[in-house]
Order: sequence, then structure tokens, then C-alpha cells
Amino acid sequence: MLTLLKRAVTVAAVAVCSLASAAEVRLQGGGATFPNPLYQRWVTEYGKKDPDAKIDYQSIGSGGGIKGFTEKTFDFAGSDAPMSAKELKTAGGENNVVEFPTCAGAVVPAYNVPGVKEELKFSGEVLADIYLGKINNWNDPKLAELNPGVKLPDKAITPVWRNDGSGTTFVFTNYLATQSDEFKGSVGVGKQVQWPIGSGAKGNDGVSAAVQQTAGGIGYIEENYADHNKIPYGLMRNRDGKFIKASSETVSAAGAGAVQAMKGHILAADIWNQPGEKAYPISSFTYLIVYKDLNNLKSKEQAQALVDFMWWASHDGQKLAPELGYAPLADAVQKNVENALNSLSFKGEALKPSIASAK
Amino acid sequence: MTQLTPNLASITTAAPPLLPEPPARGIASARGSFGSDIVLQWLTRLGAIIILLMLAALLIVLFHAALPSIRTFGAQFIVNSDWRPNELERPKRGPDGKVVIEDGETVMEVVPPSFGALPVIYGTAMSSALALVFAVPLSFGAALFLVRVAPRLLAAPVSFLIEFLAAIPSIAYGIWGLFVLTPFLQSHLEPWLWRVLGPVPGLDWLFHDTIKVGGRTIERTLPLTGRDLFCGSLVLAIMIVPIITAISRDVLRQVPRAQVEGTVALGATWWQSCREMLKYSRSALFGAVMLGLARAAGETMAITMVIGNNNQIKASPFAPAQTMSSLLAGEFAEASTDLHRSALCEVALILLLMSLAFNVIARWLVVGKNARTAAAH
Repeated sequence: MLTLLKRAVTVAAVAVCSLASAAEVRLQGGGATFPNPLYQRWVTEYGKKDPDAKIDYQSIGSGGGIKGFTEKTFDFAGSDAPMSAKELKTAGGENNVVEFPTCAGAVVPAYNVPGVKEELKFSGEVLADIYLGKINNWNDPKLAELNPGVKLPDKAITPVWRNDGSGTTFVFTNYLATQSDEFKGSVGVGKQVQWPIGSGAKGNDGVSAAVQQTAGGIGYIEENYADHNKIPYGLMRNRDGKFIKASSETVSAAGAGAVQAMKGHILAADIWNQPGEKAYPISSFTYLIVYKDLNNLKSKEQAQALVDFMWWASHDGQKLAPELGYAPLADAVQKNVENALNSLSFKGEALKPSIASAK
Repeated sequence: MTQLTPNLASITTAAPPLLPEPPARGIASARGSFGSDIVLQWLTRLGAIIILLMLAALLIVLFHAALPSIRTFGAQFIVNSDWRPNELERPKRGPDGKVVIEDGETVMEVVPPSFGALPVIYGTAMSSALALVFAVPLSFGAALFLVRVAPRLLAAPVSFLIEFLAAIPSIAYGIWGLFVLTPFLQSHLEPWLWRVLGPVPGLDWLFHDTIKVGGRTIERTLPLTGRDLFCGSLVLAIMIVPIITAISRDVLRQVPRAQVEGTVALGATWWQSCREMLKYSRSALFGAVMLGLARAAGETMAITMVIGNNNQIKASPFAPAQTMSSLLAGEFAEASTDLHRSALCEVALILLLMSLAFNVIARWLVVGKNARTAAAH
């Protein structure tokens, strides 16, 4: 009896030792703050599925993510804006990089108009004029025309914007540039621009706080942040002339429209101002970026774990997106992501996701 | 005695007749601690050198990081008021201001990013100056109260409270500014100021705004939001009151009692004698103000929450503005291009040099005045 017990203990100890030493792999990623709540959830959920994969994602901003990726301090990076031609060149050229969308999100107009309880409707043109200072008052005829039946007060409009560089500003300015040539020519597009009017605040929380405490304020924030904090926001007129409220369905619909533009392993596509009755116009993808040949990682096990995690995220992980306020990838987009993930290799040796068959 | 070393024995025995004995012992004892003295002296020297090296390293690293921006913009950097990190693609305009059209197509031009630090230099200078305007009378008043009016029983707790204010982290002031002061300014103080000062001839610029976008000018009444230079200055003022008060209180206490009693004996009123006190310690009070100014100019977290963060130069204190430190806090983490990062480093360098200049000038003035006062006595 005693010997049996001894033996059992020895076997268990050996098993524990081998488990701890052999299988554990660490992966370090970082970048975009916008998808951070979803990525953290993915890391937790995936950790339950594969306890040996220790994945860490630092939400330090898209710019920092791409910098860390180029300098190889991050194994993978998250970015709201696709890598620019110059950034791709620094990272070793287009053929060295795989970039694919993980989910889509929306930017919504939040406002604080005293005495107005209805959901306000906006068009891209009117938003551009507000941020250019051409529309200064909530009782402007152009706003009244979009909102028949709403009694808009005589109150100055105070636009609020992000003063830190952000993917949210990138999406918002890119959308406004499609709506107004004047906006494109005088403010332009980018993660950070020079606004002619209004005041700046840091992060979604800063902008929301500024809008909520400024009578007559308007600002742009991410939909998931607005939903999570119960901040009311307006409807946007889309390309087909319909007024659409941002939701995971309407943003997915916008993403589906961009599938033709996606090719190869750099799956960057702009999904603002997409056609389609249900498409929400200020939508965008957020991306994960890895090296096509994962030789920046130490071992094949590490590379395999990264591929498996990304495969899981773009399939099973998608189910977690809507409850956190993100739009899952449309089926057609998912097909493209699968092709991109299948092109990954480690030191020339092709990697296949080990859980692909489980789908 | 036989156990003693011959040397020591000879000293003790030779002690009475030989005079050089005490110095010999003195040297011996000095030698004993000489070694450790050298080590300790070098340690203090090392401490001083490391501090100087840190400052030098800071300057060198910042200068090196700012070099691309210095090369690109040169002296333009401090006179240009455009801060635009993105490039613009816009229709090209000819010398006549009309859009250039060739072969029926509009010619586009790409305007590269532009970085000019004038708005943030202006914002830092204005917010600090306004903060001093609010804080200095308050601090001197409080210090005089503590030294000349308050009974001992009251002076101690009030002093403690004022010093406690200095220990509150700046983010707490920022949150208070954003959630208490800003709404108060927006819905009470600023509309009241507008009603009172708005109709005064010559003050209409306080509430007027001119927006220039793409060659167009829009005139309008400034929306009063409470997130502006005025609010930033108020928060800064509250933050520098404790330091100015505490130092001025100590300075005023140093005024010799005879001096104060002399003024009273000569028939000075209470206020006249206070004025003499202030006059007597003016150079040290100036030093206290300078320390307050240095804190105001470098303050970051609190001001970035309430100043509106708009890199613009507006005459009115009720318009959003931006300071150097708040610009750095907002933009550095996400600066996407090398030139942008470099321009931010140049702003940091300017801020550092400005603080150095403040301190050097303050020192020079204070020391110079002290020397003059000393000579007069």
C-alpha cells in the first residue's frame, strides 16, 4: 500500500514537472487601445482552452504597437490604421508582413444638447461643417432639416476631439474627408490633425466627460465605449441615404462591403462610407500584424501557439465580439483571413493551425 | 607600560619637554580619520558630479532627439503657430488665389506636416503669468496674516493646512478642476463676466472668436465652456499658492523684530509697517514667486485636464489653449512619425531651457539684490 502511494506520488510529481517545463509558451503583443477589451477577453478565454499559452497584450496605442513590432519587442501588434507604405518598408517590405482584421468597430457622434431627448440624426456633411466651424449653433437650418419635429435650442456648438493620436480620429477624419472636400483640404486625415475649432481631450473617457459637461458639446467616441457607459449618441446618414444607428450588425454589414478590396496577406480595407442599406458609415476594421515568416520568435512551438491563437480569435473568438460592442467579421472576410493565416511559416517551414480541423 | 609600542611609550615619556608633541598627536589623529575623510569627500563629490551629469545627459539626449526637428524647421520652430502632425492633400492655388486647373483637372498639392511651438510657448507663458496674478496677492496676504495677525493657536493649524495643500497630487487638482471648477465657470462665473464685461467698450475681444479655415474667416461669439486658459490658470494658481505662502511666511518671520518695532515706533500704521516688512524681504519674496512660477510652468496633469488642449493663440483667456507640458503629455505616446516625435522633444528641450533660465535669472536677481542690501547696511 505504502509503495503504491509512493509510486503514485512520484508519477504525479514527474507529470507536473514535465507539464510546467515543456509546454509553456509566452507571447507578447501590444498596440491599439480600441480593441483592447476584446483582446483581453480573448486572452483570458484562450488561456482556459490552452493553459500553456501565456499571451499578453499591452494596450499602448497603435503607433507604439507598430513601433514595437518593427523593433521586434512585440511578437504581434494591434493597429487601428493599416500599416502605411513607409511603415511596411521599415518592417522589411510587404512580403514580410501579414496584416488581417480581427473585428470591426464604429465611431459615433455623442452630444449634449439641453432640452433635446430625441436621438438626433446627422449627415457626414453636417458633421464636417460642425468641425470646420461653419455650423455654429444647434438651431442651424441644416441640422433642423435632418431632424424634423425636434425642437433644437439656440445654443452654440462646442466640438470636442481627441488630442492624443488615435485610431478613432483616423477613422473619423477619413470618413469626413469623403463627405467634404473642404474638410479634406483644410483639416485632412490622420491619427492627429489640426482642428480649427473646439477643444481637445484625452481618450474616449476624456472626450465623453467633456461632452457631457459642456452644454452644446459634441464629440466622437467609439461605440463600445458609448454602449458600455450608457452615453447616448446619434444616427448617421449612410451612402444610401438611410439613417443608421451603430450596432454590431450594421458595422458587420459595412465590413462585408469591403471584401472585394481585400487580397493576399495584407488585408487592409477602408470600410467607412460603404454602400449598402444597412451599412453604418463611420466603421472601421482593427488589425493584427505579424511577420509572415515568424523567425522573430524563439521556437517553432511559440510560432505554432501564435498561429493557433490567431486562428481561434478569428473563428470561435468572434462570438465574444458583439457582447463587448464590436462587430464580428463577415463570413466573406473570414475566408480571406483564413487564407492569410495559412500563408504563415517559421524559418521557411509552413505552419498550419492545429485547431483548424476542429472547426 | 611595557606592553605599549615603543613609539607611543617614547611619546608619553618625552611629553613634558618636547613642544611638538600635541601637533604630532594631532597629525596622527588626523591621519586616522584622513582615509575615511577622503572617501567621504569623494562620495559627496560623486553625488554632486552625478547630479550635474544627469542634467547634462538630459540636455544631450533631448538635443539629440530634437535634432531632426531643429534641422527641418530651424528658428521657424519658435515663431510658427501651425501644429499639424498630418500632411494635407489639397487643390493647388496659384498666386492669384484661384485653384490651378490643368487639362480640365484640378492640380493637387501635398502639404507636409508642420510643427510650430509658438502656441504652446504662448500658452505656457500666459497661463503661468495669469496664475501668478491670482496667486501672488493671495499668498502674500495669507503669509502676512500668519505672521502678523493670526493668534498662535490659529497660526499652527492654518500653516499645516496650507502645507498640506502642497502635498496633494496634481491629478487630484485636475479632477477637481474638471468636475467642479469647469462646470461652475461654464454655468455661473463666465456667463456673469460676459454680462458684466461684455458691454464694456474695448473689452469685446474677451468674448469674440475668429476662426480661420482654408482661407475663410468666421466671426462668432466665443462659446464659454469653462475648459479654457482661464480655468487652467485658476487651477495653477491654487496649486502654487501653498508653496508661495509657505516660503513667504518663513521669509517674513526672518524680518528682525527691531525693524518691525522701529516702524511702529515711528508712527507707522499697521499696513505701513506691513509694507515695510514686504519691502525689507522683497528679494526673498521674489524668489518665492519664482519657485511658484517654475512649478506653474512645468505643471502637466492638472492643466491638461482643464485647459482645452487647443494649440492656438487667442487673445481671450476664455478660449481653449495649450501648454508645452500638456502638449507632451497628450501627444508623445502616440506620435506616429519621427519628425513629430522629434518636434515634441524640441518642445521638451525648450521647456527645460526655459526653466533653467527662470532659475538662473531668479538667482542672479536675488543674489544681486542681497549683495546690494548687504552693502547698504
